[in-house]
Parts: sequence; C-alpha cells; structure tokens
Amino acid sequence: MKLKLAVFVAAAGLLVTLPAMAHHSFSAEFDGNKPVRLVGKLVKLEWTNPHSYFYIAVADDKGVVSNWGCEGGGPGALSRAGMKKGDLKIGDTIVVDGYLAKDGSHLIDARRVTLPDGRNIYGGSPGDGGPPEGAVTSKK
Amino acid sequence: MTLLQVCQSLYDSAVGTSIRESDLVFDIIESAHVLGISLLAGTVAIVDLRLLGRVLKKDEISDVLTQMLPLTWAGFALMVTSGSLLFWSEASKMYFNPMFRLKLVLLALAGLNPLVFHTTIYRNVAAWDSATPVPARARTAAIISLTLWTAIIVCGRAIAYYH
Amino acid sequence: MHLLLLFQWLATTRLSAAMSDSTWAFAVVEMVHLLGLALLGGTVMVLGLRLLEFRLNRRPAAEVAGDLYPYFLTSLSVLILSGLLLLIDGPLRYYGNAAFWLKMWLLAAATIFSVVLNRAVIHSHRGSSALTTKVAAVTLLLLWLSVGLAGRAIGFL
Repeated sequence: MKLKLAVFVAAAGLLVTLPAMAHHSFSAEFDGNKPVRLVGKLVKLEWTNPHSYFYIAVADDKGVVSNWGCEGGGPGALSRAGMKKGDLKIGDTIVVDGYLAKDGSHLIDARRVTLPDGRNIYGGSPGDGGPPEGAVTSKK
Repeated sequence: MTLLQVCQSLYDSAVGTSIRESDLVFDIIESAHVLGISLLAGTVAIVDLRLLGRVLKKDEISDVLTQMLPLTWAGFALMVTSGSLLFWSEASKMYFNPMFRLKLVLLALAGLNPLVFHTTIYRNVAAWDSATPVPARARTAAIISLTLWTAIIVCGRAIAYYH
Repeated sequence: MHLLLLFQWLATTRLSAAMSDSTWAFAVVEMVHLLGLALLGGTVMVLGLRLLEFRLNRRPAAEVAGDLYPYFLTSLSVLILSGLLLLIDGPLRYYGNAAFWLKMWLLAAATIFSVVLNRAVIHSHRGSSALTTKVAAVTLLLLWLSVGLAGRAIGFL
C-alpha cells in the first residue's frame, strides 16, 4: 500500500499546486450566478478551436471604453448554431449575454450573441440554466 | 529563426490554420488524443501493476512486457500524431503555456525512465522474472512511471486552463 | 417529468453550489475523471485482447480477468463518482444535452455487460465456444469505446 500511497501523494501534490500556480491565468471558470450583458463593437474575432473569442470594445455611461473578451464554442458548435465566420466584420456592434469569469478579468462565457442583422446565436441548450430569452441584465 | 518564430509560422501555416478553424477535424483529433490515453497510459499502468506484483502474478515479467509493449507503442504513435497536430494548430499559444511546457518535460522524463530500466536492471530479468517480491529497483521504476503518467495527464488537462 | 425535477433539485443542493463556486474544483474533478479513464481503458483493453486470444495467452482467461477485475471496479467507481461531481456542477447544462443521455445509456449497458462477462469468465469451469467469447470481447471493447466517444460529444454539443 505504501507504493500506491506514494503515487497518489505525488499526484495530489501536483494537483494541489495548480490553484496556487494559477493566480493570474486560471480564468476558464465562469460564475453561473453572475449573468451579464455586453454591448460593444467587435475589435477582434478568433474563429478558433477549442473556443472562439469575440473581443469587443464596450463603452460605459460616461463613454469610457473597455475591452472585453467573450469566449464561445468552437467553429463546429457555432456553425451548428447557425453562424458562419463571415457573419461578423470588425466594427460591427454585437450584444453578448454570458457569465463573468470568476477571477474578475474582462472575460465572459458567451451564451448568446445577437448579430447586427438581429439574429440570435445560442451557445447553450434550452433550459440549461443559461440566460433566459430576452433577459436584460446589468452590465459591469 | 527563434523557437517562437518557428511556432508562429506553424500557427500561421495553412495546415495549422485549417485545423484550428475546422468544424470537425479539431474535435476528432482531440477526441483521439483523449481516448488514446487509455491505449498509452492504460497499458503502461498494467505493466507497472505487474512490476508491483498486483496483477498477472503468475506471468513472467518479461512475457507481460513483450506482449504489452506493442500496444503501448501503438498508443504512443497515436498520441504523438494527434498531439503534434493539436500543437501545430496552436503552436504559438502553446509556446507560452506553462502547463504545456511542463507536460513536455514530464514526457521526456517518462521516456527516460523505461530507458534506464531496460538498460540496467531489466538486462538480467531472467534472474527475477518470476520473483516475489519483484526487486526493489523494478518496483521503483513502476512507481516513477505511474507518478509521471499521472502528472502528464493532469498537466495535459491543465493546458486548457492557462491562456 | 420526474427527471427534470430531479435535475432542478440537484442544482439547488449545497454540493452543487460548492462545485460551481470553486475556481478549481471542476478542473481537479475532470483530471481525476481522466485518470479513471486511463485505468479503466487499460483493464478493458487487456481483458478484451485476452478473450480474443491476442495477448497473454499463457494464463487462463479466468485468471487474467480475475486479476484485472478489482482494478476495473475501482476505476469505474472513480469515473462514476467524479462524473457525478461534474454533473452536479451544473445539472441543467447536461439535462438538455443529447450526448450526455446517450453516454448514460451506453454506460449502463457497458457496466452491466462487463459485470456479467467477468462473472462468466472468472467462474466458468467449462469454456464457452470460441466464437461466443470473441463476440463478447469485441462487444466489450466497442461498448466502452462508445461511452468514451459519447463523453467527448458532450463537450461539442
């Protein structure tokens, strides 16, 4: 049993160091209790696997612009949801509903994108606990 | 050309880009990589368990090793191929990813361990092929192997969490 | 739909909150899930290959199966427990996912089949026909491969 213990202590040690090492970049976790709606101009689009990224410039009430990243599904998931790479151009205004990253960075897990032509692209599935239809939530 | 420049050109290449922007290909390659863990690490685990005297105790160690090794090599081929294609599509991002770098280091160590084993204690395996308990040095190699492969799998998954 | 009510209730539990509040729990559980996958795959593959008389033919199949069975059961338990934790992190996310349900059905089938097969092999005093054994071996491998593939599909839907 000592041998197995050694293995698992080593593995556990590695696992435990992960959160400690993760201080800056552990941003893949999103808070399901913090829905947010962002409206902004597209500054960059990464049509990539395993996740796509929509970078938008969001202006607040005072006109101060901040940059936000919106993480979406990969190209396959987006195509199945009805979106093509050419549907968006840099400078287009889009609405993104999603969940805030837990580490406080300007990153959201995009669950719904509203394109300039009014189409809604849904990232999740119906009833999965994602933002409800037509929900208007506060922007941070 | 610096290593980063090499990675950048891999990333920008037609092959890298098409995998990265693909509808289905990336998913298939990644699935092969994840499921291939069983073929590579799973077969390694069985051999390690034999060295630790836990399974197939009545089988001679050399017999278990020679029978399992082709499976492990097949798994290795699958993992290297799928892993290289995944790397190709994200090369410049992987360059900066600390978990990816750690995974490569651990892979190198995981390759060194059996090399040392085969060129040292395994050379006179005929003397301890059916021994109980298995000699300490062979058991140590098995524990190192299990630990390294556990860490490699953990690191591999952690890559996704470090941007 | 009782199942929907169950999943909605799961989403209200303290365990669900603990999983989703944590920044690292989901990742760690995923890693444990992968480790379970590695070991389970190893045991299933070796048993399947033995039954196909591809590998380790010097020992009786009953002995090979008997040796591997505890490791099969342990890794399966690890996979099920970690899987439950992954599920409870966001039950409704999986409820609507067709690949998740496919995986659950395949998991049930693969588990039942594996238990029955192992009992038959470990306790058989007379061998079954070579053909039956080989069909069973291929079925075993295909079932668990399908579970793995369905699991991957969860992430892509």
